[in-house]
Amino acid sequence: MKYAFYPGCAMPVKGLKYEISTRNLAGKLGIELVDVPEFGCCGYPVRAMDFQAALIMAARNLSLAEERNLDITGACTGCVATLSEAKEYLKDEDLRREVNKKLKALGVKEYTGKVTVKHFARLLYEDYGLDRISGMVVDPLDSLAVGVHYGCHYMRPAHAHDRFDDPTHPVTLDRLIAVTGARTIDYPNKGLCCGLTIMGTSEDMSLRLAAEKLECLSDRGADAMIVACPSCCVAYENNQKPAGRVVGKTISMPVLYFTQVIGLAVGLSEKDLGFEFNRVRFGKEKKPV
Amino acid sequence: MYRKLLDKERLGYCYQCGKCSSGCDINRLDPTFQPHRFLHLISMGAGAGRLKDEGIWKCTTCFNCSERCPQGIRVTEILWLARAMAVGSGFVPEQIAAQRDVLLRTGRLIPADNRKREKAGLVPLEEETSLVARIFDLVRKE
Repeated sequence: MKYAFYPGCAMPVKGLKYEISTRNLAGKLGIELVDVPEFGCCGYPVRAMDFQAALIMAARNLSLAEERNLDITGACTGCVATLSEAKEYLKDEDLRREVNKKLKALGVKEYTGKVTVKHFARLLYEDYGLDRISGMVVDPLDSLAVGVHYGCHYMRPAHAHDRFDDPTHPVTLDRLIAVTGARTIDYPNKGLCCGLTIMGTSEDMSLRLAAEKLECLSDRGADAMIVACPSCCVAYENNQKPAGRVVGKTISMPVLYFTQVIGLAVGLSEKDLGFEFNRVRFGKEKKPV
Repeated sequence: MYRKLLDKERLGYCYQCGKCSSGCDINRLDPTFQPHRFLHLISMGAGAGRLKDEGIWKCTTCFNCSERCPQGIRVTEILWLARAMAVGSGFVPEQIAAQRDVLLRTGRLIPADNRKREKAGLVPLEEETSLVARIFDLVRKE
């Protein structure tokens, strides 16, 4: 299995533990992640500025993967959704013709539409298979109870993600985590957004959204929160203290990437999974004996 | 171009049931933010100058409204178009202007820190600093 790895702008800067754990987990599972140095911005932040420019940015990345005959896998839910939505928009022939003219001016090949885009978790779930991962588990995490946070763009808008998961009651990440032996707990505000996208424009509401979910998981006795997006991780981990302040509480919730948890179960070391970068410590004491 | 795109997102199908607003977490925290009201205004032809006051920058783009809409209206996508219309007409919030500056200067929303990456044993990122600026230029030429 071989994919073009789309890193986005957040993970390589703010999510080092995500990148380290994703690369090492892929290696352990025998999935080859190919770096494409020419990849640029996915277009997400530009959508609020210029529709066409954003679409060209996404199309350029799609075309670069096509040129290498590789499908794309990404680790940021925002990037994956943006590229997937662009694929949907570009099914319109007129729009595609216009965008391809611009790609030519940028020195990039024509986008044809054959490339697929999947989040790394979706790739594990759909293409690699839960059974195969299950067969590799050497250190089951039986005593661990976690709350999974999907991240809005992981499965929404559903049409752009081929409806691979339910847009309001998603299950795929829970199933993926369950393979490790960890118990995933159900909680009422599971569908709530992390709020990071409005941190710049509406800070108080952004932190309030993050705090609501962290508090809820705390109350339900979760050992950790599981995320699949570098931006969600910033909202829940980096901003955990200010989020607590907004609701007048001290919150202490470890935030782990799904790649770190699966990695532990298949026998990768904490160093190989970037645990040194976790701000709310998740030490051996939380690991099953 | 934007009006044509709005039609494609099914704007004209809204019958103001308010299901988008009732499922919106931002509406729960700030009742003045009402996606259905914003849809009404934009379908009545409200321009960027009017829309900028409707709290369009409060949306987290979680897509819950789009998934809930009984008419299949892509509410989040419409909101994004409204933001782009507002920015195109010069109504740019300070934070968005700052983001645009970073994008134009570095080609990324979050500039790379290769020293930190190398320390963590990760390969340095190659910089395509002018990419976003070049694409904005291409679009502006039209």
